[in-house]
Amino acid sequence: MLLGIDVGGTHTDAVLLDLGGIVATRKVKTDHADLLGSIAAVLEGVLASVDPAKVLRLNLSTTLSTNAIVEGKSEPVGVFVSCGPGIDPEYYRVGGHYFLIGGAVDHRGTALEDVNEAALCAAVEKCRADGVRVFASVGKFSTRNPEHEEAILEKVHPLADFVTSGRRVSGQLGFHRRINTAYFNSSVWRLFNRFADAVQRCVASHGLRCQVNILKADGGAMPLSVSRRAPVESILSGPAASVMGIIAICDIDLDSVILDIGGTTTDIAVFADGAPLIAQTGISISGKPTLVRAFKTRSIGIGGDSAIAVEGGLVTAGPQRYGPSMADGGEVPTLIDAFNVQNIIAYGDTMASYSGISELAMESGLDPETLADYAIGYAANRIREETALLIREINEKPVYTIFELLEGKFVRPAKVYVMGGPARAFATVLREAFSLPVLVPENHAVANAAGAALARATVDVELFADTQKGRMFIPGLGVERAVPPSYSLDQARAEAVDNLRDYLGAIETEDPDLPVDILEESVFNMIEDSRLAGRSIRVKCQVKPGVAEAYKRGIKRQC
Amino acid sequence: MLKAKRKLGVVFFPAYDWAISATHPERQERLLYTQDQLREEGLFDIPGVTEYKPELASWLDVDRAHFCFPDVESVATQSHCVSAGGAIRAAKLVMEREADRAFALIRPPGHHAMKVVHGSRGFCNINIEAVMIEWVREHYGRKRVAIVDTDCHHGDGTQDIYWHDPDTLFISLHQDGRTLYPGTGFPMEAGGPRALGRTINVPLPPGTSDEGFLHVIDNLVLPILSDFKPDLIVNSAGQDNHFSDPITDMNFSARGYAVLSERLGPHLAVLEGGYAIQGALPYVNLGIALALAGLDYSHVREPGFDPDKCRQSAKITEYIKEITPQIADFYFDPPKTPKTGRFEGETYIREKEIHYDTDNIHEDQTETLHLCGDCPGLLVIESRSTVNPPCLGVEIPALACPRCHDLGLRAFEEAQIKSGYRHVQLINRKDKEYQRFLV
Ligand SMILES: [Zn+2]
Ligand SMILES: [Zn+2]
Repeated sequence: MLLGIDVGGTHTDAVLLDLGGIVATRKVKTDHADLLGSIAAVLEGVLASVDPAKVLRLNLSTTLSTNAIVEGKSEPVGVFVSCGPGIDPEYYRVGGHYFLIGGAVDHRGTALEDVNEAALCAAVEKCRADGVRVFASVGKFSTRNPEHEEAILEKVHPLADFVTSGRRVSGQLGFHRRINTAYFNSSVWRLFNRFADAVQRCVASHGLRCQVNILKADGGAMPLSVSRRAPVESILSGPAASVMGIIAICDIDLDSVILDIGGTTTDIAVFADGAPLIAQTGISISGKPTLVRAFKTRSIGIGGDSAIAVEGGLVTAGPQRYGPSMADGGEVPTLIDAFNVQNIIAYGDTMASYSGISELAMESGLDPETLADYAIGYAANRIREETALLIREINEKPVYTIFELLEGKFVRPAKVYVMGGPARAFATVLREAFSLPVLVPENHAVANAAGAALARATVDVELFADTQKGRMFIPGLGVERAVPPSYSLDQARAEAVDNLRDYLGAIETEDPDLPVDILEESVFNMIEDSRLAGRSIRVKCQVKPGVAEAYKRGIKRQC
Repeated sequence: MLKAKRKLGVVFFPAYDWAISATHPERQERLLYTQDQLREEGLFDIPGVTEYKPELASWLDVDRAHFCFPDVESVATQSHCVSAGGAIRAAKLVMEREADRAFALIRPPGHHAMKVVHGSRGFCNINIEAVMIEWVREHYGRKRVAIVDTDCHHGDGTQDIYWHDPDTLFISLHQDGRTLYPGTGFPMEAGGPRALGRTINVPLPPGTSDEGFLHVIDNLVLPILSDFKPDLIVNSAGQDNHFSDPITDMNFSARGYAVLSERLGPHLAVLEGGYAIQGALPYVNLGIALALAGLDYSHVREPGFDPDKCRQSAKITEYIKEITPQIADFYFDPPKTPKTGRFEGETYIREKEIHYDTDNIHEDQTETLHLCGDCPGLLVIESRSTVNPPCLGVEIPALACPRCHDLGLRAFEEAQIKSGYRHVQLINRKDKEYQRFLV
């Protein structure tokens, strides 16, 4: 059996699945002051009548790190930055202990300038005096040459409970993002590890001896042991759980749009060739761009509880939310109330919905049904417009070869999947707005937790080799070795895939044969004085987000 | 926090699957390190800076700017159409006000491609800027355009294309033609009889550094621009003036390029040459992009830059100070007649021999401008080359008087019937009609 727990903003859900389908589910209100209490409560609920020894895996999606960062409860981090020429690194200052310590590495990994020992020592002393215990060591182009990050690491090590090395958070380029990612990772490290300790105790006390995984923003699962070093990866895994939920329930083969409609917002994701699209760069946390891999999504302020307003004769809904719908005892009419008035649903106190909408309608000289109709139409159109923008952005993605420009794939959605609480209410009007088949998968109420339960490992690696320098790096995995001048793209590809598989083996994923996709590969000759001096080889590969197929059969629905 | 003062659109297209040849400077990885640098710097994460992909320029788009013989397809590959399409995309961003400034970081380059094209010269097949400018004019009306070419090589192609156009100001700063390809670009090359002073050439001595370039910008280019009052300023942003460029002899720095871009303030910058692909381009391109967006570029500095070593000699400083006002006079007080070509009755004729070094083609050309008191005049070009039999190009200007308009249409028709031309092409700007005919 597989167990999934989704700690959401409002509810915490648990789903227990076996090969035949759902065995048990449990839902409680999330207690943000005591996330562990919410987890314990749903655990007890689903494990009440089963033998815990039969649970093979627990996947957990949690808002812990996200909340800590958003609420500013994270720990001070000593951020040590080695920077070469370019944009002034002062612009990337983050936190109260940000130190520029000199040093420069260029795009090929050539060290141009050493780290400034004096500045480094002074920074270490400052951190010691201020009691800073966690650090981030980040160099520009450190994915091409780690020596400056290593030099920093060596200096701060005696002082540090934990150090995040910039190149280990991702093999991707992006200096500012690398700084932010390393900073966030260290800032939530202690909090997350305490939580991880508590989760392990809690799990053990319920008789579970299974592997515990944490869900990532790209829909993959990582073992708790790995997440202890990379807690930043657990950030914003909530939206990912819902996308994984739809993969768990449906076989999606056409280009599709996934709408996850909540109380306040709608999250839009896109599937192409049967898989959810991953953002080219990373996710933003508290407005700061990072290298944390995530689905390509767009969020808009339209949800079931979006307040309806009339301004200058125009009926709008959202992005404001002043509380629940009037049907739920709220003060301001919302989209849910409009659906009630239109008889699309009959939810809660329908009379309250009617009187709330009527009052607003009277003020603006409309009849209640018309106002409700306009509000719903407005919401559907906003969702359609934002979806169109997202699709446009995806199709406008820059390409760098003539072949891709001329032959590149375009995403053309043929189906819309709607999930979330108000999904059914929205389905009809969205069908009109999109002029596409709209589906509301069954089981969607527990889809997030089911998605979390079935999520398998994901990982991406970037290999970079420079045969003139005779070096090869896979920064995300900390792999580095000498290569001969004859090192080829074929060898690089095989080596990238092998390392990725080794990593999967090391973290004990249950399925070592996960499909590996080569995302990008290229080889460039380096010419000096009209002679071949070496080759620059790049390979990027990944294990795509996916679910445990064997278990999927039990909960799959027609969709 | 970083935020662009001016919205910048960057069309980045490195064409990783196209090269002239495996070891040619104009090869696949020319923009590879620039891409790495821009990604590592996070240029496109800066609010107000956005990356776009190019469009594909159509053959019609090329036909508006060139007489391609035998046709566009034969002289321009898809990579050239993508490069031109990248510039068009950049122009569209600015014209539609989606961006305040745009930078077309594209290859292959184009500023050595002349009005008539039989093949590739100076790594250029079609003139990217000209295709872009004529696209702008086709869609947004007859704009006054200033092209400031800061590539190290004289922009002889662009000069040739706009030689007779009084609405296009072409200023080229380059290494003195006596010391570098293509060997042209002297001050007396000032434009045709109807556009004298609209072509301005500033040959600079080898070794010129930031100081010299910026002196010319401040004391020649900017005063001329403020007098000409262009609707659109285009910078042909070649980067081979860099002190580390392997095929030139100048001493310009990445910072110098950024300052130049800031002072010039072009609406559109289009990459031209630049072959120090590791040591210069990543930094120069970053500097230009930051300057265009109004961002701080004070920390952009290429490895190995030593201002003292790069500084131009006092002799060069003196020389540039001396020639700057003399050259400015070619704009403010142009000569009464062109120094080249000859007048025959109601016409002005230029005989040209053109060598296409990249493709090793030789062309003989006779260009005839019909001098008219009422309009800029009809242009007719007869051309033959080692790869094509005699061909004819007829261009009716946008402001053609009825007489020149008729004359042009007749010339196009007659060439199809009785003369010995194999290919005949008409650029009829007045009616926005572009036709070609195979005899
Ligand atoms: Zn050049
Ligand atoms: Zn006329």
